[in-house]
Amino acid sequence: MFRTGSPGTALAAGTLALTLLTTACGGQAAAPPSGGASATSLSGKTIALVGYGNSNPWGAYFNKVFTERLAPTGVRVGDMTTMDPGTQVQKFNQAVAQKPDLIVTLILDTTAMAVPIKKATAAGIPVLAVDGPPDPGVADEVMSVLSDNEKLGEYAAQNIVEGLKAQGRDSGDIIVLTGTKSMLVTQHRMKGFAKVLATAPQYKVVEEQDANWDPQLSGTIAQQLLAKHGKDGVQAAYGMADYMALPIIQAAKQAGFAIGGKDGLIVTGGNCFKAGIDSIKAGELYGTATEDPGTIAEQTAAYVVRYLAGENPPRSETVREERVTAANVSRFAEQCSHA
Amino acid sequence: MNTADDSEGASRRWRPRAVAVGLAVLLLVLLLVPAVTTPRFLTLDNARAILASAAFVGITSVGATMVMIAGSGVSLATSQIATVVAMLFLGPQHLGLWTALLIALAAGIALSAAQGAVIGFWNADPIVLTIAGGFAIGGAATWFSGGSTVYPAARGFDVLNATPLGLPLAVYVLLAVTVLVEGTLRRTTAGRQMYLVGENRAAARAAGLPVGRVTVIAWAVSGACVALTGIFLASFHTSATVTLGGTLTLDAIAAVLVGGTAISGGHGSAVRTLGGAVLISVISDVLLLRGYSTGVQILVKGVLVLAVVVLVHVRATRGRR
Repeated sequence: MFRTGSPGTALAAGTLALTLLTTACGGQAAAPPSGGASATSLSGKTIALVGYGNSNPWGAYFNKVFTERLAPTGVRVGDMTTMDPGTQVQKFNQAVAQKPDLIVTLILDTTAMAVPIKKATAAGIPVLAVDGPPDPGVADEVMSVLSDNEKLGEYAAQNIVEGLKAQGRDSGDIIVLTGTKSMLVTQHRMKGFAKVLATAPQYKVVEEQDANWDPQLSGTIAQQLLAKHGKDGVQAAYGMADYMALPIIQAAKQAGFAIGGKDGLIVTGGNCFKAGIDSIKAGELYGTATEDPGTIAEQTAAYVVRYLAGENPPRSETVREERVTAANVSRFAEQCSHA
Repeated sequence: MNTADDSEGASRRWRPRAVAVGLAVLLLVLLLVPAVTTPRFLTLDNARAILASAAFVGITSVGATMVMIAGSGVSLATSQIATVVAMLFLGPQHLGLWTALLIALAAGIALSAAQGAVIGFWNADPIVLTIAGGFAIGGAATWFSGGSTVYPAARGFDVLNATPLGLPLAVYVLLAVTVLVEGTLRRTTAGRQMYLVGENRAAARAAGLPVGRVTVIAWAVSGACVALTGIFLASFHTSATVTLGGTLTLDAIAAVLVGGTAISGGHGSAVRTLGGAVLISVISDVLLLRGYSTGVQILVKGVLVLAVVVLVHVRATRGRR
């Protein structure tokens, strides 16, 4: 990399020294949380957490709560988290080689993870899929604690139908910005969304675009779709996560749309975040739904403890999801404010 | 004999030029025909949307033009710098908008200029350095924030979401930055030296040009532009996560290349990069209006970049003959 000798060498040496210093100072084991921990002793048990990386706020809070809840039990949690689907497959294979007592995985690419899951079960290592379901081909081979994604889609549609009816509209056009369409999570949410909208045929989806769980892309697509249909052509919008719904609101405001109220754009989100809760309180976001990382992390940790303690929990559990609107936002403000 | 040689030479010179012009015309036809035949394309609202969606990437790409002209290729740490700047802008909102702006701009300039210094004074490979820099900056941001979203304690930044005359403020900043960068490149000593350094770094050094200083200036200006993008991104999204920068790095590089700036340095202009950013936005818009998916939009963007790079290569080949 460096073509000159001494300054480059000095810089490289400095970088190495800084890295070593950082490594030495950081990475200390987190202290167990005070209270709320299970008294069950599972000392010596090991878990490989092949989950979402800490670069994602949802993943960061899930990892924090999950690890903290298991710390008092003595279970050792190996951090093998990432936000890259390819790296996740590699880390899962590494986890299989380490032969832990359980692999807990939050899947980024359902298809790519099917073969590694088969390898794990063939090696006799149990796998617990969390949040999104695994590939249907391996669904029978894993345990699961799943978000109720179909319900989350239903809640989003309920928010829109309720908001449009409250405005007295007997028709309305809706734009939808989805998460990555190839993900089962996205497909299940759209299934629930379509199911509820079918009961209110006066409201119809005029655009459905894949915004890939990307807030920046969501803003860009929203700007163009709102321009395409104009102020009279869109009455409601669904951003599959709050961080996708809020750019829709911002784009609409910049395009001169009224938001919420008696005749403004009805926007709904999902995966409740603090920014979404604040927006509901401000009267802009009509509603959202839970799927917050804290709740699912608590339920997953409890499931893991029961499983490792030999209590044979049910093969699959579904996390109870809640719809959040201005009517009940104060009840969910704390729960939804960690990501 | 001479006449025949001249004629053959002229023919050789004109062949690549004809190919370049032909490709450019073909590209324009391929773009213009679908655009003008797309319903709702020729509306004021749509023009505003195109400019608005070009603004964030445009500001960064105009700054990146200077780095490319100065022969430093590209920065692969752009998204990470924009993300850190966004966090540093929203975090201290309680200190007031101007303080937060200064902190954010200073951070963007410092992070980018530091990389420019290593490249300019020690000849580090920009690709390798910025890959490492990107990992370091992104990792540090994740470490310090714990992956949490940064929320502002005050809403002074809302003023940056204003829409004077119906256009987002970011669009005006994009135009101002383009004029400033183009003026710097064309009318200042440092700007002209950037072309010379980019054309032939060894020769520039041998001629006594301040290669290191010129490179640092290019990267500092680029850092300021990335910082402005980070500030507008943060204001638009009202919060900042480690992934806020998204695909900014590659989008900005694509805009610079589509604008016709030579990746090897020495040629290019900020105005053409502005054209590149708007062109990409127009294409995405047409495809969206015609109902094509996001995947198709990305594919077409890739094909366009490839076509323009080939076009620029053909022109460069002509220049060498």
